[in-house]
Amino acid sequence: MTDQELETAILEIFEQNYEILQAEGGHSLTEDTKRAALQQVLLYWRKMRDVAERVTETEVKLTLPEQQTRKGRKYSIHGVVDVVQEEERTVMYDIKTHDAEYVQSNRGDYEKQLNIYAHIWQELRGQPLDQTAIIATAHPKEVKQALHAGDEAALEAALAAWEPLVDIPFAQQQVEAVIADFSEVVDAIEDRQFSPPPLSRLEQRYKTRGREKRFATQICGNCDGRFSCSSYRAYTQANRGGDVSFNRYFRDFESTDQEAWLNANLETNLES
Amino acid sequence: MITASLTLQDIWQALEPRPFQPNPNQANAILHTDGPLYLTAGPGSGKTRVLLWRTLNLIVFHGIQPEEIFLSTFTEKAARQLREGLQSLLGIVTNQTGQPYDIARMYVGTVHALCQQLMIDRRFSPDMLRPVTPGLMDALDQYFYLSDRRFWEAAIASTELPDNANYAITEFFNGGKWGSSSRHKAVTNCLNLFNRFSEECLDPAEIRDRTDNEILKGIIDLYAYYKDSLGLEGRTPQVDFALLQQQALQTLQQSPDAGRVFKHVIIDEYQDTNSIQEQLFFQLAAGHQNICVVGDDDQALYRFRGATVENFVQFPERVKTTLDCSLTQIPLDINYRSRKHIVDFYTDFMSRCNWSRPDNRGHYRVVDKDIRAHSSDHHPAVVASSPAKPDQVVAEIAELVKRLLDEQKVADPNQIAFLFPSLKSKQVERMRQALEAQGLSVYAPRAGRFLEVEESVAVFGLFLQIFGRPERGEYKGDYAEFQDWLDTCLQDAHQHLTADPNLATYVGDCQDEIETVLSDYQILCRVAEKHGWELDEAYTPSQMEQPLAQAFGLSEKARKSITNVYINRLAKQRHLEGNPFSLKYIINRATSLDWSILDLFYRLCAFQPFKSWFDLAEQGSDEGPICNLGLVTQYLSRFLDHNSPVLTASFLQDSKFINAFFMRFVYSLFRLGESEFENAEDPFPKGRIPFLTIHQSKGLEFPVVILGNPRKDPKVQPIETIVRPLIDREGEPLERMAEFDVMRMFYVALSRAENLLVLAHFSSAGNFVSEPFRTLLDNPDFPRIPHFDTNALPVAAFKEEDIARAYSYTSDYLLYQKCPRQYMLFRKYGFVASRTQTQMFGSVVHQTLEDLHDLLIAKRT
Repeated sequence: MTDQELETAILEIFEQNYEILQAEGGHSLTEDTKRAALQQVLLYWRKMRDVAERVTETEVKLTLPEQQTRKGRKYSIHGVVDVVQEEERTVMYDIKTHDAEYVQSNRGDYEKQLNIYAHIWQELRGQPLDQTAIIATAHPKEVKQALHAGDEAALEAALAAWEPLVDIPFAQQQVEAVIADFSEVVDAIEDRQFSPPPLSRLEQRYKTRGREKRFATQICGNCDGRFSCSSYRAYTQANRGGDVSFNRYFRDFESTDQEAWLNANLETNLES
Repeated sequence: MITASLTLQDIWQALEPRPFQPNPNQANAILHTDGPLYLTAGPGSGKTRVLLWRTLNLIVFHGIQPEEIFLSTFTEKAARQLREGLQSLLGIVTNQTGQPYDIARMYVGTVHALCQQLMIDRRFSPDMLRPVTPGLMDALDQYFYLSDRRFWEAAIASTELPDNANYAITEFFNGGKWGSSSRHKAVTNCLNLFNRFSEECLDPAEIRDRTDNEILKGIIDLYAYYKDSLGLEGRTPQVDFALLQQQALQTLQQSPDAGRVFKHVIIDEYQDTNSIQEQLFFQLAAGHQNICVVGDDDQALYRFRGATVENFVQFPERVKTTLDCSLTQIPLDINYRSRKHIVDFYTDFMSRCNWSRPDNRGHYRVVDKDIRAHSSDHHPAVVASSPAKPDQVVAEIAELVKRLLDEQKVADPNQIAFLFPSLKSKQVERMRQALEAQGLSVYAPRAGRFLEVEESVAVFGLFLQIFGRPERGEYKGDYAEFQDWLDTCLQDAHQHLTADPNLATYVGDCQDEIETVLSDYQILCRVAEKHGWELDEAYTPSQMEQPLAQAFGLSEKARKSITNVYINRLAKQRHLEGNPFSLKYIINRATSLDWSILDLFYRLCAFQPFKSWFDLAEQGSDEGPICNLGLVTQYLSRFLDHNSPVLTASFLQDSKFINAFFMRFVYSLFRLGESEFENAEDPFPKGRIPFLTIHQSKGLEFPVVILGNPRKDPKVQPIETIVRPLIDREGEPLERMAEFDVMRMFYVALSRAENLLVLAHFSSAGNFVSEPFRTLLDNPDFPRIPHFDTNALPVAAFKEEDIARAYSYTSDYLLYQKCPRQYMLFRKYGFVASRTQTQMFGSVVHQTLEDLHDLLIAKRT
């Protein structure tokens, strides 16, 4: 298979996957977003080719059996790791469609996850693991600018400077803490504790992509359940003052999201 | 493989909280490893445990790799239990020996799931560069696919069916009487027959010649047209459940080594397999001949889905002819579930039917069974109501239920199950009212129609209020009933609107928005007309933008949309590329609502009564309403699957949307009665008494079972008569079939009970119980509710889950940590989210990267 054939294959696979997902979920992406998604795959292939070519296993299913919660419930932990590469060294990679900067700033979450996966791998297969890492496939803005400008030299430079690999070191103590926490969550789910987080949590601020966002905007803003949620209601009342009409609550889609939604869904409507 | 130091018996001994002590037959079945095995398993005989230990024995002590085992179950739930159980037991072995096991690649699942898995398994198609999984349509998808007017008309036009084809088809299915020109009726009839054709693997070209009936020939041609339309050889093929199996069988037939991939093929609930599944299983087992089937012909329930109980009853003969070898038969005949009286009762029940074949050629049933109760408790455990009129019967039963709850004979109302042959009979509603009169709540989302539950009525009532009610035509039957339902919904909406002024304001705002986009649409169309522009022509911003934006009376929102900088830049660019927007697109864009019907649903949930229903679930006190609301979102999202989520004015005007949504989609759901949803969730919502069909109760057990209507009139389904001459296989005689099926169905119901089985004994004009219940209840000593002493009734044991439940790191742990309430809605109760852009982006990238890696791996090897 030549490089050209492989790129053609990627285009085809991408298009087919898109069609299948569209048929399954009934949702569409805007032209722009769809192009950006394809771009991410193509750039991954260009930048991470040596990793991609040495992958030996995909969608590796991992299970940690026979756990027990504080209340005596038996459970097991399951996870799926994207790729494993086993040649002279064994490396486990999880692919995230975020950018490396985002992954770096939320490192803690990824550490917990990959540490558990690494623990299961070593326990399950009885084989050591040499490295675990995240591949952050969203390219940095320099790459985007070079692409936009159509400047091949700048693109080469930006691609060379891009560091999509985020190394995640292994820490055994963390594994135990995560398993303990996991047990608590299992008990809470089985006991049907489903209250939303308190108002204070909704007001918490996070840093992502150099911007500061609140839990309420980042998480609740994307949750259809917010309208019937007591915490979110308390949040809107606390932040919008009492004089804002109740209906204000319903008009809080960011205009860009609204536009994207319209672009994606109206276009497919016309095509059919 | 394991060292000699550990034995299977050691692991049985090591089990917590108590060791496993199999009876001799169970042990023989577990230790069997070689050749075909035929397990005839009575109700509650521990077959799941046997399967579990047998599989463990193969893996741990006989060196079989998990991926060399094919284990098919009837439901997802059974598959999950087996997988989790195996994981848990293997974990125990690992803890003792240090030997790790990985069953992630093992085949455990429903036939359908396993078919999907084997179609992309490289062991069957080593040369395949890129596996394609066909899109799967469930029964409702299939109905909408077929009943699409354009599809159906084109399909009919491709045949030689007479002019009023729907009439001819329905008349044919009704045995030459009562035709109807309803497309709905013609489609539902054909759909069942098509699936049967697929399950019997009938080739339309071949069966066409086996009938002289012109209408049936036409229907066979429709089937051929339908199959052709699915693009099975194309890039994005679609299949229904039946055709999925056919595609999988094809994969096997094209693979020379198909019979050697699995060293062990194990099939649970074998009595409910169909013809094509039997072919699949025998193909898979052809090489190693290790096929183990487990089942109970007495519990065969799924003839209407193409199941042939003969697969099980005649398994020994089939093994001989197909595999040319003998088999081991082991009966699992000790019942651990029910008290002795219950076991004796249903064994007696079953023997009251004559199962023998004509000419003494054996039986239509596996007769050498001797089901015995493990329990030696001799107290009465089967009790009937007094023989009486329905009102009296249901009152007596409701009182007993109340007593059982008050005396804490069960821990929760969800341990008392009411089973009915059908949830559509009058007795169901009577029973429910009697229980409610005792202050008890029922969970019966499938009783009557799902659309008639309180939660559906509330949602659709407000939708009707907002979008307007479709006009009532002059029809009777289903249509008139549906129109009455619409009225009920509207009345319900009026109550909610009066009770909550905020809701009234919100609904008013929605109505205003619809008014505005409709008026904007008229205005913009008039501008186009004035300038002589066709709506389909290319949009040229330089000429059209200003006249449209400056139209008199246009809303600010529409004006902004037309003058939007981004869209105009895009429009110019596309114009240059020779792929311009149409004027229609620009107008639609400016005159569409900001929300989809699913968005609207979630916003309405801010108000009463919805808000309280969510609060109940958050507190864990009543799950009934939230389960129903979750189902409502699934239906709404189905509508969105087939229609754009964006509501444009051109869709809203002239009642187009109202007709598509209410008169086509909702009306179809109303008529179908959603009987296709049969997999009941277990455990059932706390605090409520479940009402189930007997079919839904398959595989379940309850401390108390009430057979709410021991009546089912035997009737052969027309489909059986139609199909019989087309297949060259001898089955149960048509004239006995219905009687056999009724016996088996009630056998399933009776054998669900652990501690107490209650029979409703209707006895008045028009209300009665079927045979053999009538004869059995004729016994003057039969225990009756008024004399029933609850003191002798054991208290239902709290069931400890001895199988570890599987939790996912990302979709359980991380999701719950993010927000427990979000977890509750989208993970636990199956709510469908409305906006999924980011999710779809991630999915398509992830999937393509995975495929790329697989492609690279395949290329290297």
